[in-house]
Amino acid sequence: MSLAAEAFVSQIAAAEPWPQNATLYQPLREDQILLSDCASSLAVQAYLRMCGLPVRVCCRANAEYMSPSGKVPFIHVGNQVVSELGPIVQFTKAKGHSLSDGLDDVQRAEMKAYMELVNNMLLTAELYIQWCDDTTASEITRQRYSSPYSWPLNHILAYQKQWEVRRKMNAIGWAGKGLEQVYEDVSQCCQALSQRLGTQPFFFNKQPTELDALVFGHLFTILTTRLTTDELSERIKSCSNLLSFCRRIEQTYFEEDKDSQSAGSQYSRGPSLF
Amino acid sequence: MAAPMQLYCWKGDYGLPSVDIDCLTVLAYAKFAGAPLKVHKLTNPWRSPTGILPTLQTRGEGSVSQPSKIIIHLRKQKYNADYDLSAKEGADTLAFVSLLEEKLLPALIYTLWIDSKNYVDVTRRWYAENVPFPLNFVLPNRMHAQRLGRLQLVREDPALEPGEQLEQELYQEALECMTLLSQRLGSQKFFFGDSPSALDAYVFGHLAPLLKIKLPNRKLQQYLSSLENLQLFCTNILALYFPSEIQAPVHTAPTQADGGDMDHEPHKRWNQVMSVLFAMGAMLGYAILTGIITIKSAHPHLQESRHDDVDEEGEEED
Repeated sequence: MSLAAEAFVSQIAAAEPWPQNATLYQPLREDQILLSDCASSLAVQAYLRMCGLPVRVCCRANAEYMSPSGKVPFIHVGNQVVSELGPIVQFTKAKGHSLSDGLDDVQRAEMKAYMELVNNMLLTAELYIQWCDDTTASEITRQRYSSPYSWPLNHILAYQKQWEVRRKMNAIGWAGKGLEQVYEDVSQCCQALSQRLGTQPFFFNKQPTELDALVFGHLFTILTTRLTTDELSERIKSCSNLLSFCRRIEQTYFEEDKDSQSAGSQYSRGPSLF
Repeated sequence: MAAPMQLYCWKGDYGLPSVDIDCLTVLAYAKFAGAPLKVHKLTNPWRSPTGILPTLQTRGEGSVSQPSKIIIHLRKQKYNADYDLSAKEGADTLAFVSLLEEKLLPALIYTLWIDSKNYVDVTRRWYAENVPFPLNFVLPNRMHAQRLGRLQLVREDPALEPGEQLEQELYQEALECMTLLSQRLGSQKFFFGDSPSALDAYVFGHLAPLLKIKLPNRKLQQYLSSLENLQLFCTNILALYFPSEIQAPVHTAPTQADGGDMDHEPHKRWNQVMSVLFAMGAMLGYAILTGIITIKSAHPHLQESRHDDVDEEGEEED
């Protein structure tokens, strides 16, 4: 989105209150969504719940192609469509809902830095394991990614996507890393997050911020998704405060729909941590 | 620990110890940690053991060539500038380095390598002048293509074109990142108190080129110069850890380059004479080959004319 368009959108956004029929689109929960998309989607859901903004989750097989930036999830609010956490945070801020207003300048700088850490390390590691680890790619990723399509489109799309991700990994210098080193990076990232969190309930003390939503989205998804090995989730489990952090957020923000919704909705977040 | 480790990096200029971001980061870290390195400042990446700059040649463990890996290696050798940091500060380092790489680096690459005016007038010119002969025709263009490709992949837009919109998007992120860094630094001398750490090396590596290299299109630089504490931070590190660089290479500054080119290249006059001679030779050769100028030997012509004269004379006599 160009800056002019962005400024325009935020002006319009400010004028209208949050509607009741806001919708979040993501790929199909049961057989299509991938670890990284699921994590991003859960992060957005957690963020909107922390803001107290109602949103209906809608699964579409072609969500990726519906999104304006080509990335899931995206939200459809009134007559606007916004994708990814960063722009969504901006968008809700324009509507007067913000979680990071209480922070001072230094804290805001640190929050942004840690969000980049999660994107840079955790998200990239998820993508790497999904698409660059041959076992995971052939057993899980390509099948799930292409599940809505029939032969031969399924193979074409899956390999095309894989090729794209691998080229990106090449460009950012991850292609030369082995799986073991990626796990090591994940460990390092989790330890950093764990150190930062310490014994506080949220990253910046009492109030949740978008950083908490982002971290929760990724960690919870990794913890509750079954991959070819448990290595990835084991790395997170070594940080006990992160585990209890995930439980706490799940309890606080996702508790109410445990009873009311069927098992299908839980699948989006995998089995619960309890 | 007999021979010191050897570090290969790009040569310095503009008052910087090296012109390359990664090399600057590593050099600064090594200085902070007090690691005894034998530094080779090169203008030809093929002379480094891996073909990449910077590269650290270690004893027994081969060569390491990514800045983060080099720093980890130095740490393992007990040259650790982060020794005094708490675990939380270590975590902050990791986070801010991610912020730099995701937000500032793309804009930096754009302003040095993609922005056409800056690239043609400064970056390509520097590499073309400094890289040795046959390579200087190939290398700058290849580095440019690599960086453009990287940017396209990172932005996940294969049709990405250098232009207004991309520039605005990248610069907006970079401005935000610089503001955040400035806020984090506050009035401190270094990011974590009074002694420099790895984060300081990274920030210095990314900001110092922006501060020192004079570019025609200087939007990012203008913004950086409005953040006084970051500017002071960079000049402080240059003055404290690289004092020799500030005094020595003043004459290579590009502000003087226009008029004062003659004195920083010893063979300039000789090269000029040779190139003029070469060009003349080429032009003459072309002219002769295509027949614009023809050379006939003068002698037979003279004789012919004499014959004519004789004939004419004969005719007159008749």
